[in-house]
Amino acid sequence: MVDSLSLKKPVVTPPAPARGSGPVVNRSRREALAAYAFLIPWFVGLFLITVGPIVASFYLSFTNYSLLEEAEWVGLDNYVKLFTEDPRFWASLKVTAIYVVVSVPLQLGFALALALLLDRGLRGLSFYRSVYYLPSLLGGSVAIAILWRKIFGADGLVNAVLGLFGVEGTSYVNNPDTALSTLILLHVWTFGAPMVIFLAGLRQIPSSYYEAAAIDGAGAVQQFRSITLPLLTPIIFFNLVLEIIKSFQSFTQSFIVSNGTGGPNDSTLFYTLYLYLKGFKHYEMGYASAMAWVLVVIIAGLTGINFLASKYWVFYGDSK
Amino acid sequence: MATASSRNPVLYRRRVSRGAKHLMLIGFGLVMLYPLLWMISSSLKPEELIFREPGLIPSEITFENYTEGWDALAHPFSYYLWNSALITVLSVIGNLAACSLAAYSFARLNFPLKKLWFALMLGTIMLPLHVVIVPQYIMFAQLDMINTIWPLILPKFLAHDSFFIFLMVQFIRTLPRELDEAASIDGAGYWRTFFRVILPLCTPALATTAIFTFIWTWNDFFSQLLYLNNPDNFTVPVALRTFLDSSGESSWGPMFAMSIIALGPIFGFFLAGQKYLIRGMATTGLK
Amino acid sequence: MRSLKTVALLAAAALTLTACGGGDGGGESADGKVKIRFSYWGSDSRQKLTEQVIAAFEKKNPNIDVVGEFSDWPSYYESLATKVAANDAPDVMTLEIRGLAEYAGRGALLDLAGKVNTADLDQEVLKANQVDGKQYAIPTGVNVFAMYANKAVLDKAGVELPDDKTWTWDDYIKLSAKISEAGKGEYYGTEYTSNNPTFPTIYAAQRGEKLYDNGKIGISADTLKAWWGTFLTMIETKASPDAAKMNEIIAGGVEQSLIGTNKGAFGMWWSNQLGTLSKVSGSELTMLRMPKLDASGGNGMFLQPAMHWTISSKTEHPAEAQKFVDFLLNDPEAGGILLSDRGLPINSKVLEAIKGKLTPADQQSVDFIEQIRSELTQAIVPPKGASKMEDIIKRYTEAVTAGQQTPEDAAAKFLEEANAAISG
Repeated sequence: MVDSLSLKKPVVTPPAPARGSGPVVNRSRREALAAYAFLIPWFVGLFLITVGPIVASFYLSFTNYSLLEEAEWVGLDNYVKLFTEDPRFWASLKVTAIYVVVSVPLQLGFALALALLLDRGLRGLSFYRSVYYLPSLLGGSVAIAILWRKIFGADGLVNAVLGLFGVEGTSYVNNPDTALSTLILLHVWTFGAPMVIFLAGLRQIPSSYYEAAAIDGAGAVQQFRSITLPLLTPIIFFNLVLEIIKSFQSFTQSFIVSNGTGGPNDSTLFYTLYLYLKGFKHYEMGYASAMAWVLVVIIAGLTGINFLASKYWVFYGDSK
Repeated sequence: MATASSRNPVLYRRRVSRGAKHLMLIGFGLVMLYPLLWMISSSLKPEELIFREPGLIPSEITFENYTEGWDALAHPFSYYLWNSALITVLSVIGNLAACSLAAYSFARLNFPLKKLWFALMLGTIMLPLHVVIVPQYIMFAQLDMINTIWPLILPKFLAHDSFFIFLMVQFIRTLPRELDEAASIDGAGYWRTFFRVILPLCTPALATTAIFTFIWTWNDFFSQLLYLNNPDNFTVPVALRTFLDSSGESSWGPMFAMSIIALGPIFGFFLAGQKYLIRGMATTGLK
Repeated sequence: MRSLKTVALLAAAALTLTACGGGDGGGESADGKVKIRFSYWGSDSRQKLTEQVIAAFEKKNPNIDVVGEFSDWPSYYESLATKVAANDAPDVMTLEIRGLAEYAGRGALLDLAGKVNTADLDQEVLKANQVDGKQYAIPTGVNVFAMYANKAVLDKAGVELPDDKTWTWDDYIKLSAKISEAGKGEYYGTEYTSNNPTFPTIYAAQRGEKLYDNGKIGISADTLKAWWGTFLTMIETKASPDAAKMNEIIAGGVEQSLIGTNKGAFGMWWSNQLGTLSKVSGSELTMLRMPKLDASGGNGMFLQPAMHWTISSKTEHPAEAQKFVDFLLNDPEAGGILLSDRGLPINSKVLEAIKGKLTPADQQSVDFIEQIRSELTQAIVPPKGASKMEDIIKRYTEAVTAGQQTPEDAAAKFLEEANAAISG
């Protein structure tokens, strides 16, 4: 899946003398050594603090573990129960899938559009950028829960506006039919993080490319299509991969807006929220671990597909 | 100027479209700003009016929430700001250093098992955090690190957050290969290429990493609560929650007031980081 | 290679999960003092009181150092369970009745019988809070779940305070509907509560059933249907706001409740919430007995422990931990600082000593509880697995009130899920 990472066509063929003009084997060995040297902190971290808990959670997924007693081996029981006896598992999967499918493209679309708008050419851009990033600063603050009620509650802003037109609304946050939609809006509204990444990506594109294109008489649209978009694809790809992963793991928003319940009537029961409830509120950490590994399989599958597909649309500066 | 541009149709059209752009941005900005305005307004209202009075403009302005909130907890609020700042700054340094090293290696160098390690690196962010909390706590307890800041900053110095590694990998890979090759022809080794060529060109990615690490660490609540459970070690997000009582009386006014104050450092950091965020290839003058 | 060894070791250590304990589980601090850790939840005001109590205790016991570990309520059990799992449990832990059997039933708690002086405590309350016949926990104080009436709203609607000795659910709903009608959307007759197992417990008790009966759900399908029927009638007759709006009000908690914002005449709350409700509403509030099934029946109300003091079964300093719990329960100085922060003390001497210091609201709660004391029964400790119940009750109630499930359908499914929850 990381095939494209390896250098296929070196632009400068003769090896640099400084790196030793000896045999190729020697050189690649030195490169490998250097690579591992650069990765030392990461390897230490991986083996010291990352792998242990991950392995432990995998083991726990085959146990009955209440946190308060020692774990007890039950084999595949948790997985079997998950797929055959738990309607809430399927319900949470469905809620999460809808959330991912709707909110990821919307959020990324918004983020990209605004990043393009806020990139250059207008006075006061840094001011706008800051303003648009603000909602993301508030992040998981408890104030968001209150605020969302202020906007989408029975006496909220939305209904006040609708009231002007004589439409009588409901409490959107607390109606099982609309609650999920408000959380999707909340997600879209906090598009600051991908926007900032897009902005940084846009700034990575050398202005000389545009200058050259302008000399060739390319218009704005053409410049966007032939320079901006292709050169931005690695960043678009990054945002896409990470947003999908993050949205599948989405937890905080539903947790604070629904008071940690996923209500009303499970309409905002995100997968990770259900997992959290199982592990910490129902004292079934073994079951929660099994859920976590099912999610890993789903996410890994999607990410793998994403990487495969990326060969057809992502252009790297290092492989042209 | 004005007459000149109104006579020149191209300039005129450009001005109109620019004006429309501004209008749009401002209108949309108000939607984005509403929550903050609401919080500021609430923090300036006498506490009992916060929920009784729905409007944005307070009928009565008081700074009581600020003075009260500042001294409401066991320590003055500056104490918690300092605790948070320490952890946050160390985290930023850790992430910048460790993640950029790893990213350079993954993006530019070839080595055996690279695909495996890369996949593993991405794989570590796919597991939901909640199931590793307990094993991680057990591990840090055995390392005798509970109630120290180590569990919070050590992972940062060991490039635990794959998000940033992957982010920098993608940025480095947008850079043309000729740059490194040119450097190596000039006799630069891997370390110098990384330090002198790649890092400066990655300023936007580094700025993004710094900004996000700062904000996410500053707002991170649960791990700080878990690992720093002595009230003397509390950080801002933990302190803010103590204003709230889910079954009884919450101090909403002071909570909003201190939230606004707590926004200061992250907003400041964002403004400062923004300068570097937009200092990419376009401004460094490299061709 | 060394790192590989470390991994293997760490993975193995994490895997066994038995954990020989993090080094700071207790022990003597540098100055020769014994350190014990004490966990509790709450807000800034409780933290202040608790730090005062700890200081008072340390003054009397200079060789003991008590470290408070404090968190907000939503994260309390999450962080506590993590510490217990890591064999790093605080020596003295605050629990509440829903978590009690989860911890006691899994051997996490020490039996306190004979170890803490309980001579002056309410013996009936003590006994009711045993688990499997053992005194794993001692209530910090008690509360009663009661009906509140907002005088200002009743006056506006021109309605008299009902006679709570005889009023029925029917009376309550009809009266509420009348008030809502007078309110014309500005105020309502009542709000209901769906996220609290106490309401169905009381309703079932009036029909002679228990929510939990010998490790099973004791409430019948008929009772459940009738209970949800009251919600549907309230919504239908507009005695309360509609379901979506009610969900929102419930999520807002006590401070944004209808009764607390002077938008509702009635509402069910705990007796220790009177102070908050009075403050946010600024109106005169009265506590009433719960409505009944019929005028002559019992009201099903009971004494609920606010929280419990417990000691970890793994503590290295049981003597010091017991001393601290003893101090919290029996010392008038501790009582004088904590007052009713953790419910009304069940130590008769402490209660007597602090009565003069209580706020008017707390004084009103004491009077109310004393007035109906003879009618009250004891709370039942929910069995292991019952921490799911709150969630289950809320979910089915939301489904029924939103019209997504009929009461019949919900009752059958509820019983199945709830029984499975507490049997596992």
